[in-house]
Amino acid sequence: MELFGIFFAAFLINNILLIRFIALCSFFGVSTKLDTSVGMSSAVIFVMTISSAVSWIIYHFILAPFHLEFLRTATFILVIAGLVQLEELYLKKIIPHLYRAMGIYLPLITTNCAILAVAFLAIDYRYSFLQAMVYSLGVSFGYSLAIVLFAYIRERMALAPIPKWFQGYPIAFITAALMSLAFLGFTGMFGL
Amino acid sequence: MFTFVISIIVLAVLGFVFAALLGYAADYFRLEEDPRLQPIIKILPGTNCGACGSASCHNFAERLIKGEVQVSGCLAGGVEVEEKLAKFMGIEGLDVHKKLATIHCGATEKQRKRKANYIGVKTCQAAELVDDGGLFCAYACLGYGDCYCVCPFDAIRMEEGLPIINRNKCTACGKCVEACPRKIISLRPFSHPYVVACSSRDPGSYVRKICPVGCIACKICEKEVPQLFKVVDNLAVIDYTISDIDADKAVEKCPTKCILKLP
Repeated sequence: MELFGIFFAAFLINNILLIRFIALCSFFGVSTKLDTSVGMSSAVIFVMTISSAVSWIIYHFILAPFHLEFLRTATFILVIAGLVQLEELYLKKIIPHLYRAMGIYLPLITTNCAILAVAFLAIDYRYSFLQAMVYSLGVSFGYSLAIVLFAYIRERMALAPIPKWFQGYPIAFITAALMSLAFLGFTGMFGL
Repeated sequence: MFTFVISIIVLAVLGFVFAALLGYAADYFRLEEDPRLQPIIKILPGTNCGACGSASCHNFAERLIKGEVQVSGCLAGGVEVEEKLAKFMGIEGLDVHKKLATIHCGATEKQRKRKANYIGVKTCQAAELVDDGGLFCAYACLGYGDCYCVCPFDAIRMEEGLPIINRNKCTACGKCVEACPRKIISLRPFSHPYVVACSSRDPGSYVRKICPVGCIACKICEKEVPQLFKVVDNLAVIDYTISDIDADKAVEKCPTKCILKLP
């Protein structure tokens, strides 16, 4: 039940895009088409889970014993960058179809702040390893949900009669704000 | 001092471990890829249009290396890509003809006579199913732009209910030819300027009643330039195997101006 709570809180109540406003650049950048947003979110789910696992291990078994907590930003960036490279090599060899489906989004994720944020937050919340895993899964699925929903809406908006001054990014920002308001409605659910 | 040293050591060791891991992985996961694959993919248009019958440009390149498809298989790339591929693969002496999509109807929205108003789904495919889409002419462009929607290269624009082909963008991939339910789009040689903008096989007297720009099978073009034009089934047809011929006279004398000389 506690794990479910963590997942649900990360997934909906503290949705990383719509409530915490982290990783907004990719939220607006790759949500113009449904298939690109699906590619991006699958890459995020994949990278976020693995990178938060590895950064948790490195933090708790290397940085914490030496009292080097202040080094975590530099270390995590190093870890994420290295991991993404490694995953790219691995996928290219073992699952070439998935590699081609993710395409450019896999290396782009190196600089996605949501990945770094999740690694930090899992430590700030003093989660155990299992809890950190569930948390990062929840966050990444929350990211996917928000960006895929948003891509659906933007595909519809491309055909809608929108006043000239609102076309493009203005209406996208307004839509995101309304979605964010809607997600606020989850606050307090299950006493979380 | 201790913190200073230990942090340098930890970061250095971590960096070294990751570098070693990446170096090892790059070797371990080395892809035994055909060295010809990437250059071929670069030559291909990369639009993944699927007109060649392969799933993607990547797939086409793989099949090309295996010899399952020909260098001329990439319809979208046209002559340019074919020549480059042939050069890269070491094939010479190919007969290549660049082509261009052509609409065989010249009647604009206003010129088409209607017997009924079609108010159904706004696609040519749907309109064609319902009593010729409400048009008298069973060969006229329906004007709902199925070809425009299907074109992967943005080479078709709709003007007064007629598709206009952008000759610089058209790659003759043939998607519009397939999409048109009336089959009034065909591919003609790129350098051939003459087009019969009509597909009607109805007798001339009937065409004269329903369309101001239809071919009435008067055979004037056949008289003027007999090598190029031939009237078959009440329709002037151009023999596209003959090039470099001056047929301006036929264009001038055509009473309904349905023979066009395009730039």
